[in-house]
Amino acid sequence: MSILKITPERCTGCLRCELACSYMQTGEYQPAKSVIRVSPFEGHTSYAPYTCVQCAEGWCMTACPVGAITINAAGAKDVVDDRCVGCKLCTIACPYGTMFYDPDTRKAFKCNLCGGDPACAHACPTAAITYEDVATSDWLADFAAERTQRLLVGV
Amino acid sequence: MARRHLIIGGGTAGMNAIRTIREEEAERSEIMLVSAEKPYSRMVLPYYLDRSISESHVFTATAAVLAEWGAKTHLGRRATNLDTKASVCTLDDGTRLEYDDCLIATGSSAVKAPVPGAELPGVHSFWTLDQCRALIADVKPGGHVVMVGAGFISFTILNSILSLGAKLTIVEIAPRILPRMIDDTGASLVEDWLTRHGVTIRTDARLNKIEDAKGKKRLKFAKGGDLTCDAVIMATGIRTNLEWLKGSGIRVNQGVVVDDHLRSNVANVYAAGDVAEGPDRLSKSGVVHAIEPTAQEHGRVVGANMAGRGVGYAGSLVMNIVEVCHLDVASFGAWDDGKAEATVGVKRDRHAYRKLLWTDDRLSGAIILGPSSDIWTTNDVGMLKGLVQSQVPLARFKAYLKTNPFDIKPAFIAVKTAGRLLPETVLGRPAKAPGETPVAV
Ligand SMILES: Cc1cc2nc3c(=O)[nH]c(=O)nc-3n(C[C@H](O)[C@H](O)[C@H](O)COP(=O)(O)OP(=O)(O)OC[C@H]3O[C@@H](n4cnc5c(N)ncnc54)[C@H](O)[C@@H]3O)c2cc1C
Ligand code: SF4
Repeated sequence: MSILKITPERCTGCLRCELACSYMQTGEYQPAKSVIRVSPFEGHTSYAPYTCVQCAEGWCMTACPVGAITINAAGAKDVVDDRCVGCKLCTIACPYGTMFYDPDTRKAFKCNLCGGDPACAHACPTAAITYEDVATSDWLADFAAERTQRLLVGV
Repeated sequence: MARRHLIIGGGTAGMNAIRTIREEEAERSEIMLVSAEKPYSRMVLPYYLDRSISESHVFTATAAVLAEWGAKTHLGRRATNLDTKASVCTLDDGTRLEYDDCLIATGSSAVKAPVPGAELPGVHSFWTLDQCRALIADVKPGGHVVMVGAGFISFTILNSILSLGAKLTIVEIAPRILPRMIDDTGASLVEDWLTRHGVTIRTDARLNKIEDAKGKKRLKFAKGGDLTCDAVIMATGIRTNLEWLKGSGIRVNQGVVVDDHLRSNVANVYAAGDVAEGPDRLSKSGVVHAIEPTAQEHGRVVGANMAGRGVGYAGSLVMNIVEVCHLDVASFGAWDDGKAEATVGVKRDRHAYRKLLWTDDRLSGAIILGPSSDIWTTNDVGMLKGLVQSQVPLARFKAYLKTNPFDIKPAFIAVKTAGRLLPETVLGRPAKAPGETPVAV
């Protein structure tokens, strides 16, 4: 299965992925509704996008009381809108914090790999986000561990 | 290996067990299902109450699905006796079912406060589909509903009552609301919010009696004035459905006592869900959590074990979320551990509240509260769960979070939480999608 590979060192913080994602997912350019979210590090001198890792357990999927989360053709965990009642259980069951709730539609939403053609990967000008057939991983950990040192100074 | 599996109770735990047996086995075994009610999910009843979904949406397995799964069903029947020596279960119509192994998943029932008038028509419980149907008939736009008990279940139906256009009063015997879900500070913020959204809350209110009053109900209290309303909902607690196990030899405490394979003291009898006292993920001691995710995980683990897998269970984690009038309220783990070191953050202007509970440099519990439209306050709710679940040491980030409890994300990422979480699965293999057809026929 192909997944989103993140190479944080390449991210410039341009936020194109968030715009592309929200447009693909909701038809609006609205980063608040993006399911890939860019975080600043080192006092906004470096950035990295963070999104669903498509974990093997699928904590969101197994938690849903009405079977509203399924696995789509791309192999991504995906919310079936007609089934979702908006109970938010998946948003607390997902330990990665990548399951969201849209107050406008009253449904849960998450990265579904755009069904196999992820808009964020297309939009990224530096190939910080690529869609590849590799094992999923904790892409940001080392990058973030190094680039949060300054946050800790003085605490 | 066991060839005849008996599942008693077709709620969340029971249905997850059946599905998992079918996912795991190479060759089809016999599955019998006894359930007093048809399989449905109780926790989505609030969405049927306000008609945001149709009744058919609550069912977790239709007759067709049960047939596809090859389950021999006894629906509308109750198990009344378990003979663990002979491995026979007797039903209320006298049917005797022989099994090789069995799952007790009979859940819990609502209990009304024992006051005179509690059994009058128009005084409701809200736990089953039948009770939901009865309440639907009684809640009218412009009517007045009184909820007795300000616990989690009341809060799950609060939005529905309001969206049906009824006026709502909540009365609670304790001095504060949501005693088993959030702390005092959180509760006072929620109370404030609800009052501002037109909900009347009366705490320290001991109900003495309910009487009929010209087609309405009148509630009388130990002190303070009477309340008159069109419908009363008693959300005053639940009790595990264990009585029928008397004399079975099954060891029972708060629930059926089970080991880390969710097996009772009788080797071929398992228990799962609200009725089981299984291991807590953090303390490892036996607890009844009575929440949906625990019932799901229990059910899946038992299903795998009935299919011969031998899966050990890491234990369940308390987690709850409820949205009331667009305010999200959630808690995890040992949020109520009075002895734990706690970090608190309040942003009154944003109606946001956080509490982090520590065991050394690991997070053992959390409370989070904020408007559901405010991404900033609720964005990282899942990450808090991840920190508690993974028990990742936060090391130097502990000091950071103690001054910035609202900035979870950099800490979550930098301490490599995802890397710890990724290898974990409940069944030791990737989960299957709910609709995936069972393989063995
Ligand atoms: C209104 C409401 C809202 C809720 N909201 C949430 C929420 O937001 N989050 C959360 O985590 N949890 C929530 N819950 C709790 C959740 O629904 C339960 O924890 C879950 O249903 C437990 O599953 P179970 O399989 O153990 O039991 P149940 O789902 O209760 O199933 C038990 C089954 O056993 C049957 N049965 C009982 N006795 C017998 C017998 N003697 N013989 C045969 N069959 C029998 C019953 O008819 C039923 O079918 C809510 C519950 C309610 C009522
Ligand atoms: S919010 Fe929707 S997808 Fe998430 S658990 Fe509830 S019903 Fe399932």
